[in-house]
Amino acid sequence: MHLRLRVVVCLLAGLVAHGWAQTGLAIPATTSAINSATPLSQRVVAYDMEARYDAKAHSLDASETLTYHNLTGQPLDTFPFHLYLNAFEPTSTWLREGKREGTRGQNFETWDNKSYGAEEIKKFEVVGQGDFTSQLQYIHPDDDNKDDRTVVQVHLPTPVPPDGYVQFKIKFHDQFPQTLERTGWDRDSILGAQWFPKVGVWWYGAWNCHQFHAYTEFFADFGVYDVKLTVPQYEVVGGGGVEVGSVNNSDGTKTVSYHGEDIHDFAWTASPHYLVHEDTYQGSMGAVKLRFMLQPAHWSQLGREVGALKEIMERFDRWYGTYPYKTVTVVDTEPGSPAFGMEYPTFFTGGTSWWEPEGFRFGSVETIEHEYGHQYWYGMVATNEFEDAWMDEGINQYTQIKVMDSLYDPSTSSLNLFGIKVGQRDEDRLLYLGGVDLDALAQNGWQYADNNSYSSITYGKTALMLLTLEGVIGEDTMRQAMHVYFTRYRFTHPTKEDFLKTIEEVSGKDLRWYFNQAVYGTQALDYEVFKMDSTPVDWYKENLKEKKGETEYICNVWIRRKAEFVIPVDVEIKFDNGSKVRERWDGQNRWVRYTYQKKAKIESVEVDPDHKIHFDRNVFNNSRTAEENGAPARKLANYWTFIGQFFAQFLAWWLV
Amino acid sequence: MSENTSLVSAGSRIARRNKRYVVWFYLLNLAFAHFGAATFSESVHGILDHSLSADKLLHGFNLAVFTELVARPEFGTFPGTTRPAMMFAVVFFLASLLFMPGVLLGYASDHRLPRDEFYRACGRNVWRFVRLFLFFTVIAGMVAGILFGVLNALVNAADKTSNERLPFFSQLLGTVVILVILTAIRVWFDLAQTDVVLRDQPAVRKSVVAGFRKTRRNFGRLVGSYGLIAIVALAVLAGGIVLWYAIVPPSSVAGAFIVSQATLLVLLGTRFWQRAVAVAFCVREMAEPIFEDVRPVPVLAAPVVP
Repeated sequence: MHLRLRVVVCLLAGLVAHGWAQTGLAIPATTSAINSATPLSQRVVAYDMEARYDAKAHSLDASETLTYHNLTGQPLDTFPFHLYLNAFEPTSTWLREGKREGTRGQNFETWDNKSYGAEEIKKFEVVGQGDFTSQLQYIHPDDDNKDDRTVVQVHLPTPVPPDGYVQFKIKFHDQFPQTLERTGWDRDSILGAQWFPKVGVWWYGAWNCHQFHAYTEFFADFGVYDVKLTVPQYEVVGGGGVEVGSVNNSDGTKTVSYHGEDIHDFAWTASPHYLVHEDTYQGSMGAVKLRFMLQPAHWSQLGREVGALKEIMERFDRWYGTYPYKTVTVVDTEPGSPAFGMEYPTFFTGGTSWWEPEGFRFGSVETIEHEYGHQYWYGMVATNEFEDAWMDEGINQYTQIKVMDSLYDPSTSSLNLFGIKVGQRDEDRLLYLGGVDLDALAQNGWQYADNNSYSSITYGKTALMLLTLEGVIGEDTMRQAMHVYFTRYRFTHPTKEDFLKTIEEVSGKDLRWYFNQAVYGTQALDYEVFKMDSTPVDWYKENLKEKKGETEYICNVWIRRKAEFVIPVDVEIKFDNGSKVRERWDGQNRWVRYTYQKKAKIESVEVDPDHKIHFDRNVFNNSRTAEENGAPARKLANYWTFIGQFFAQFLAWWLV
Repeated sequence: MSENTSLVSAGSRIARRNKRYVVWFYLLNLAFAHFGAATFSESVHGILDHSLSADKLLHGFNLAVFTELVARPEFGTFPGTTRPAMMFAVVFFLASLLFMPGVLLGYASDHRLPRDEFYRACGRNVWRFVRLFLFFTVIAGMVAGILFGVLNALVNAADKTSNERLPFFSQLLGTVVILVILTAIRVWFDLAQTDVVLRDQPAVRKSVVAGFRKTRRNFGRLVGSYGLIAIVALAVLAGGIVLWYAIVPPSSVAGAFIVSQATLLVLLGTRFWQRAVAVAFCVREMAEPIFEDVRPVPVLAAPVVP
């Protein structure tokens, strides 16, 4: 190599290594918390935190050292941070939206000071650049609420070069609220989530760091977490990652240390009451330690929870991909706590009750399934929960249907009690019917019409549209597509198009016609058996006597598309001689008529006889029988009469 | 216990001897509930009668499909469906208020009460029973309000502890205690009603006072008897529902109707049994002479004025 060229190469290499050489910083490449010899993600951040929790004041003082690796390909001089706990100030965007829409059962009729939460940065230092505490600026990228303090930004005089590192040293104080949503204290327990200043994500050429909204969730970069929690010695503690130490201190406290790798958040919990059970699941990448932290009154549910989680893990491992972490912690939050049913990497909150019968699957089993599913659809496939909520909640809801339906009979996979049944897909239909066509899936989470529409579309509609997609491309193909999507995009931040294109690629089909309506559109889907008749060919003859099997009829069937969503459908026509005809209608026009001449009358007509379309907004008009069958209505009327009679007797019993 | 049993048995004999009253009231109850369910029935017939989806509701009971059904716009609004049922429940209550005097008179009588006497008793006592109802509402309402308020505070306090079962069992135990107290008030007013009818008492406040004294003096016996019958009523209701679930196939509309209606008939019978206990008690009280501790009034000689 020419000497001058060699000098240039050396200079370039020196520039690339500038950040490293100047600061000596790096993100640890350790693999002690995962069943893998090499890191699984492109680690952008390393959080090293020491926190002391005051159980009486429900507050915390902590120091955080955040090392950030600039992999954006460009110099960065601005860094935004989430301060999620500031959402629990009365003037925050989260609370304004919550007051407007309600969230997690909260209506905020009055303000209770116990609900107050805050996150104050006491000191903000950038290593090598100085103290920036006084220069921090609160920003509100999503709305005009100048009082919202959930995002703070720092501007550095010296940009961090591409591939360079920067280290932030932050001291902060948290005041936890009595739990309103996800994080806070209940009685003498604490669920510490979204509790530390967390840097935004550089995504598609810009910082992605949204304010905390009433019903959106989170987005963060993968990295390494080392957390030391100091709590009173009587507390039973759990956290994300692997517990690497516990030391009793002389002041009656103890310090519990956790280490997590290839995760993008860290949550923890402490309560004097937890009963802990540990178990092991042998996954395809190695052993996974299962840690159950249960309320004493729920101990009887332990066997059920352990069994369910193992079965669920097995399904995910087999169908979608391997779980690479060495631990998973299931936390049973305080009864009635709004912190229940929430996911964090390798750690999630379940929910059960002491009276829960086996047939009641809405509670512990379903919650465990859902939150474990999030270890895949959020934990590893880390989509942007602010902007694409359907990609974590909805895809997870879809896999929940698949897993729960494999554990139980699909008609009872949610509830099977005293003859009352609900299946998972029924549950999602109900969710979906709460919104139907107010919003599209592809929408920023905080810009949905309301909380109802958000739940209906992100959870219900996504699950049903993916289930319906199975009918278009086949169940096996769909499962293969989900597997490819998981393995291709785990430990990254995929977009909606990454997901949709993967399905198209695996199925080998152009599905834009479907995605444009189901993902990007708000069209409702409603097919109807509009009308039908069977008229004797010889209708004009006097004294015509119709004889079954002999009289010839002209049979007409009208099918109508009542709403805008167009999807090809099968139509099955049954005749009273036992014969059946299947038609395929492309649904392009508003209606279609089928005419047959047969020695039989139409008995019934059904659109989508194999029940492959799951988000038709009215299933009752999808079929029509020639003969009236009043039995189902009489049965329900009998129930209603019984209730009415009982109520009347009850009234008279007490009042007369 | 034996006194209780004898009162319960006496009540049972009276109620069985006058079964027709239970049957008539049951028929009223059924008819009114049927009218109350008419809107509901019409709506579900309109949606389900020609739909194959109805199968999920006939062969089993899919709660989600049912919820979807009642959420359909063509089903109508929830108040539109529930209001008629509520209104007819109130009508049944008013009918009970109107005809109960005749029943009580019939229970007290040792022969089959002629129809005109029955209606005469109803007519004579209707306003008295309305006043008694108002008395009862005020007293029971106040007591229930206070007790449920206290219970609510207790349950809230229990909820602050870490014992998850404590709020539930506090609520359960507290509700049972309140029900016993309300049952005592019901006994009091049942006795007052019986007193009004049997003594043809126009001043209902006197019957209210008499009912209170009798209940206080015979608290264990009367409330015990009522409690025993209430337990039978609960067993009937639970047994009926279990039977309905266990032996009636989901698609058997007739089977469900028979079991559910038999349950409601017997359930109604238990309330009439309680009524009969009150009548048996009052009849005995009226038959027995009441000995009061009457001391001779000292007769003082008029002072002699010199």
